Amino acid sequence: MRRNEYPQEILQSLEDYSIDIKDFIPGHGGGAKLLLNFNKIAGVDQVEGIILKGREIPNGIVADIIIKEGTKHEEPVHLCFGVNKETGVQEIFPRIIAEDNTSVKVQAHCSFPKANGLIHKMFGHFYIGKNCNFNYSETHYHGENSGALVAPVGYMYIGENSVFENNFNLTQGTPGKVKIMIDIYAMQNSIIRSNIKAYGKSKKDSIRIRDSVFLEGENARSVIKMKAVARNGGEVLMYGVTEGNAPHCNGHVECSEIVLGKGSICRARPFIRAIDPTSSISHEASLGRFPQKWLDELMAKGLTEDEATEILIEAMLKE
Amino acid sequence: MNILLELKNVTIPTLDQKCVIVNNVSFEVREGSIHAVIGPNGSGKSTLAYTIMGLNSYRISQGKIYFDGIDITNMSLTERAKLGITLAWQEPARIDGLTVFKYITLGIKDKSNLQEKVKEALRTVNLEPERYYNRIIDETLSGGERKRVELAAAIAMRPKLIILDEPDSGLDMIVIEDFLNIFNKIKALNMTILLITHREDIGMVADYGTLLWRGDAILTDEFPIVMVKYCAKAGLKEFCKRALFKNGGKCFDDEYIDRIFREEGLL
Repeated sequence: MRRNEYPQEILQSLEDYSIDIKDFIPGHGGGAKLLLNFNKIAGVDQVEGIILKGREIPNGIVADIIIKEGTKHEEPVHLCFGVNKETGVQEIFPRIIAEDNTSVKVQAHCSFPKANGLIHKMFGHFYIGKNCNFNYSETHYHGENSGALVAPVGYMYIGENSVFENNFNLTQGTPGKVKIMIDIYAMQNSIIRSNIKAYGKSKKDSIRIRDSVFLEGENARSVIKMKAVARNGGEVLMYGVTEGNAPHCNGHVECSEIVLGKGSICRARPFIRAIDPTSSISHEASLGRFPQKWLDELMAKGLTEDEATEILIEAMLKE
Repeated sequence: MNILLELKNVTIPTLDQKCVIVNNVSFEVREGSIHAVIGPNGSGKSTLAYTIMGLNSYRISQGKIYFDGIDITNMSLTERAKLGITLAWQEPARIDGLTVFKYITLGIKDKSNLQEKVKEALRTVNLEPERYYNRIIDETLSGGERKRVELAAAIAMRPKLIILDEPDSGLDMIVIEDFLNIFNKIKALNMTILLITHREDIGMVADYGTLLWRGDAILTDEFPIVMVKYCAKAGLKEFCKRALFKNGGKCFDDEYIDRIFREEGLL
């Protein structure tokens, strides 16, 4: 596949993320890839040990990604779900299976540079086997119209002794209306790290994220970190859920949200539950402005309060 | 030496204005010197430092502060920093996502050759640039490393005055020795240091000192003289005779120390 066979606006929006397009287009670079142009599969690249299959359905695709037992790849698997239209419905059904003893990174790029009424839905199922190291990153670019409705749902099973890292970034462009729900089930000795960042920039932006970890196996551990900024009337609501349902499991939920400008709203609703007396679950949340001490430290370097705030937002939402 | 900083009858109340933390304090800081403000915990040292820096929660109710001949009493924190004052904090913040490189560049006015300037600042505080460039200033840095980065950021600004607020807190003895050498390097770069400390071994690098005692500035003089007075106020005569003013510091005979202690009614 050549670069000019894929909508330039989508590629440009990815390049704006500092993503190296050369390694991203099928036929280039070393990793597996699946590119979607609205509801059509625009290109697929497979590598040894990773089966990648897509099937088109009326409003989107079903994508099966199977990491075969023992496969270890440094090069990430790239998934690009691009829509170069203002409106329409894109539905993605990814089914990801990482067999035992695998190590892989999956990077999903969702680019909707012209969205103005566009609907993007995802129903993802992840099965991560034993002794795996699985890293999933999803980054969104929604243009500047706040015109997308994004509703991804993910169910993730993480097997014994596996490490699962989830990074979800919604900080570039303007998000629009976003409803995200992630449920992660952690088995024995597994480690979960889930980082979510969102930036609501105007009153057209409304973001609701529920990130849940269910510690079902003995000695399973998790940390959920949710960070958000709401400014100029933007709204962010974050639910961080952790349940300790097994002996000696350990979970923590951390939520930091910054509110800037009139009419902006940030809300955090941590929900933690422990049903085993040997488990340990905790949460902390802070909402409002940056600590005055942080601002003072930067202002003592000659920055104004506004400049210091921008630096801190950039740092907070950095991928 | 010219006078760089001058405090005239400065009184600093608590936020609710009900108590006075620093009472009618006057002293001068000479350009190119290391000037220590010493005193026990609770004497108002850090309050004085934050007030000179211009932090919003620390406002004077009476008096004037002059910097480089300019009345800065009513200037904001940012304006004072732009004039050439900065502060290295006792417990610098840990900020997730902010790299050492970015943090150090924030206060550099001339943005040309940033890499070289950051490298030079890191070398001055004895940190290897290549190892620290891309580190994040979060909990992954040790207390000593974070303090060095803070000093590097202050040095990179090339300010006229660096206020060091309790730079020794939380550091072990070996590291403190290294920090004293760094202070001398800063001085050699023609920057003036206002050193806030309650420790005599840290203060020994100072040329001059001011003793702050329960909010009052009791004495401003050459540092060893101020230190003897501090020991006398604290009733530490034997400590004063035994432990102070060794290692090249200015020494006093027993008669001098006895006289100072007599003035305090301790003999």
